[in-house]
Amino acid sequence: MPASIVAQMAISGALMGLVYALIAYGFQLTYATSKSINFGQGELVMVSAFFSLTLLDLGLSYWLVLPAGLLFGAALGLVVERAGVRLALEQKSEGWILLTIILGLFFFSAAENIWGRDDRPFPTPIPSDSIHVLGVDVTPLELSVAVGVLAVMGLIELLKRRTLLGKAFEAVSVDRDAGELMGISAKRTVMLSYALSGAVAALAGILVSPITTVGPTMASALVLKAFSVAVVAGLDSGFGVVLVGMFLGALETLASFYVGSGWREAPGLVLLILALAVRPTGVFGKAAIRKV
Amino acid sequence: MLLVEDVYAGYGLSEVLLGTSLAVKPGTVVALIGANGAGKTTTMRAISGLIRPARGRVLLDGEPVGGLPASRIARLGLAHAPEGRKVFGTLCVEDNLLLGAYGRLPRFFGFRGRAAADLERVYGLFPRLRERRRQLAGTLSGGEQQMLAIGRALMARPKVMLLDEPSMGLAPVIVQEVFRTIRQLKAEGMTMLLVEQFAKTALEVADYAYVMERGRIAIEGTPAELRRDERLLAAYLG
Repeated sequence: MPASIVAQMAISGALMGLVYALIAYGFQLTYATSKSINFGQGELVMVSAFFSLTLLDLGLSYWLVLPAGLLFGAALGLVVERAGVRLALEQKSEGWILLTIILGLFFFSAAENIWGRDDRPFPTPIPSDSIHVLGVDVTPLELSVAVGVLAVMGLIELLKRRTLLGKAFEAVSVDRDAGELMGISAKRTVMLSYALSGAVAALAGILVSPITTVGPTMASALVLKAFSVAVVAGLDSGFGVVLVGMFLGALETLASFYVGSGWREAPGLVLLILALAVRPTGVFGKAAIRKV
Repeated sequence: MLLVEDVYAGYGLSEVLLGTSLAVKPGTVVALIGANGAGKTTTMRAISGLIRPARGRVLLDGEPVGGLPASRIARLGLAHAPEGRKVFGTLCVEDNLLLGAYGRLPRFFGFRGRAAADLERVYGLFPRLRERRRQLAGTLSGGEQQMLAIGRALMARPKVMLLDEPSMGLAPVIVQEVFRTIRQLKAEGMTMLLVEQFAKTALEVADYAYVMERGRIAIEGTPAELRRDERLLAAYLG
């Protein structure tokens, strides 16, 4: 087995891993403002992908569907915040865990009823024929995942660091009450974080679907790995999820090739267990994750 | 003008404030003193909206603000430098100050320019903060953090400022410095409600004072009147 083929597989895997990183980043966004995450995040990915597919079927251009899909994801994020998170947080309860799981199940059933149980192809104008870049073969489709993920995460990080709104976001995550005393509405900040998280989930769906197809069950596999990435990287480092996501993606591809395709899911779970046992704050994390 | 009328408030089932009333007239400094657990900090939190008064009214320039979210009350002109300072440790000094003016600055671009005059004013008041403007607030000393908390509150150009225990945990020299600043702000006409454990020092800057006991105002008067009060002398002024 020539080394170049191993490198080839590792790189393909790493590019896919960026999708896990993006979904994990969605967890980080809401955890920062509210110490809560949407356990139904995978269903947001899936429903947004189906919604975008429907728009494509109606004949809309991909480049119009992309922003429409992101807006739809943001709206779903707001629904999750309103229906699943706000009341629980106001009562300082952990009820958001169960509520977001239930909302996820609801979205899952709704998707099955509206779009059916079959996996469907997701058309894209981006070609999937391999091109040769820096000594490896990649498809423009895989590259579009990398570009999309890094561009959006970079943009959000830039907004967080350079704008007053971003600093307010940080302020609320450090100390909600002190943020309120500055005139920053904690409620709106949490809403914004859920909207962003939903949009990021939708982007993950739109980017990954042309490669994997769209189906109601796409959510569970993606979200479990994204969750592993978030736990391994920690819930407060955007840079960390990118590195861990790419690492996990590469590891998966190699595991399924060398050990067998049935072992594809194993590395993520092993990393998750290792992280929880050895370093619950995550490799790049500061805040301890409460094990629930 | 800040008016607190017969406010009841607390945390969950434990009521701390049992009918507190006080008034802070424009341009005056009012001290709120009393033993630990009397309800001084809770009064401050009920005024700024961090806890919701169960009964009673809070009026800021005649407008009822009781029950509004703290962020709304802050934008109406009430700045609260809370107990324990509560600076944003992972942000730099200047970002902390900018956030103090959040309510009236643009969210995305040009906020630094719009806040330049206010930043200058705060840096003039606390030259130490200018030296450390790029430093993370969490790495400042206790005294510097207190200056930052006061400076951050000033950035809002508030109508009324609440200062909760500004001397807490600070070395005596620094306490003197903090009180020098409070006197200077008073000279500039700032309206302030000051909670202090050092009752003596507080009475030196205050125009009027309230003494709290078990969730109510027990005694009130000018500092001169309070100094003549035998009970008070024994209990708080040593």
